[in-house]
Amino acid sequence: MSGIVKKIRSLQWQHFVFIMLIAGVAMISDGCKTSGKLSKKERKAQIENAKKELSAIINGTSTKSLEAQERTVNEIAGKNYKDPELDKMIVEARQVLKKAFAERDKQKQEKIDAAKAQLLDMLLNQDNKSADELEAELAKIKAMNLNDKEVNDLIARVEQKIAGMRSKKNVPLKTQLENSFQGIADAAKAGNMSQVSALTQSTLQLFTSDDATVLIIISREGSLVDYDKPTTIKRYLEFIRDQKANRNAVDNYLLEGGKIKELDLIKK
Amino acid sequence: MKIKTAIAGLICLLILTSGLFAQNKDENISPQRKQAIDSLALEKVRDLSKYISIIGDKATPWSEAQRVIERAVELFMENSEIGVSSLSRPDVAYYKVREYFDRLMKLNYDKVNIEWYKIQYVSDLERQPDGTYVGVITIYQRFQGFDKEKGLIYEDTTKKDITVYVKRKETQIGGRLIGFWDVLLGDIRVKETSK
Repeated sequence: MSGIVKKIRSLQWQHFVFIMLIAGVAMISDGCKTSGKLSKKERKAQIENAKKELSAIINGTSTKSLEAQERTVNEIAGKNYKDPELDKMIVEARQVLKKAFAERDKQKQEKIDAAKAQLLDMLLNQDNKSADELEAELAKIKAMNLNDKEVNDLIARVEQKIAGMRSKKNVPLKTQLENSFQGIADAAKAGNMSQVSALTQSTLQLFTSDDATVLIIISREGSLVDYDKPTTIKRYLEFIRDQKANRNAVDNYLLEGGKIKELDLIKK
Repeated sequence: MKIKTAIAGLICLLILTSGLFAQNKDENISPQRKQAIDSLALEKVRDLSKYISIIGDKATPWSEAQRVIERAVELFMENSEIGVSSLSRPDVAYYKVREYFDRLMKLNYDKVNIEWYKIQYVSDLERQPDGTYVGVITIYQRFQGFDKEKGLIYEDTTKKDITVYVKRKETQIGGRLIGFWDVLLGDIRVKETSK
């Protein structure tokens, strides 16, 4: 017992106080962490980091999407660092983002308008594009994911047109031509001039040009063939319209690049 | 020498006979071919009758009438004339084809009906020495002119003779030699006019 008392007496009280102080600091720091309070150093580091992110947003160098940038700004604002410079940057970043969203909406609208115009052109198909060409163009428009009701409706109509063109492709060309000629004669007889025009345009698209040659056989005896005066497909279609009659059948045709270059008709 | 003369004579004979055969080929066309040519010429006259009713129709837009006039003029030989008669005067006036169509388009009626009927050969197509076939087709034209308020204000029926010329021609199309029959109409003469 007297030995223990001696040992206690031999301890230096300064050392004891120092040890107790360190233990106290350690306990305080650990307590801060568990209660969510930041050290000055950490807070400073976080503010710096936030400023970096906001600078990137303000300067337009951020690689994040606009939505992600907006989330970042809201998270920084939500932490309420009460740093005047940071608060100013938050306001500025929000303005930049608002402008960027408006610009993006504008660009999207422009894309929608352009897509609508292109889809309407495809429906008219005045350039006489094939079903494959129209499909390739349509795929590009669909890939834009414009998510616009009018655009989606037009896409559906173009898809229908392409399907129609493909099914028409399966009808023999000879039948297509004879149907068109008869259709023009019937529509002219009925006085339906808009149908005459539409049929004339679609028929002309089957030919290499409006000036493609049309020959009409009036008599054939072995190898001896007699023709009417040669004409062109445009003139021949006008002739059917004027005469309101389809007097000739398709005898033969010569294709060039999938279109008719020369057409031989024969008197019915 | 005698052999050479004989060969030359033989060649000449061959050339001559081939020429004769060629001429015969053109002259002696089969009845089926002749019928096809007859029908073709009649068809051109029928085409003209449709063009005339389109040009005369007041409902035909001006630009459309001009296009049809061009097609109608192309059916005629150059300088051909068309006769115009009226119940109100004894003489027949003749106009160049284009002038006739221009006047037809501008007739002073609110509505015009022109119909051709009984279109038939009065003189069959006959081969001429130059290879052209010439014939005469007769038609009857029923003309009716209407006024918006008074209705039908003029009508007559005219018998007209149309001379037709048909000639075989050849053209190259896409490397093919095409033999076609070119039908051209000549003068249209008024034969009689009645109510």
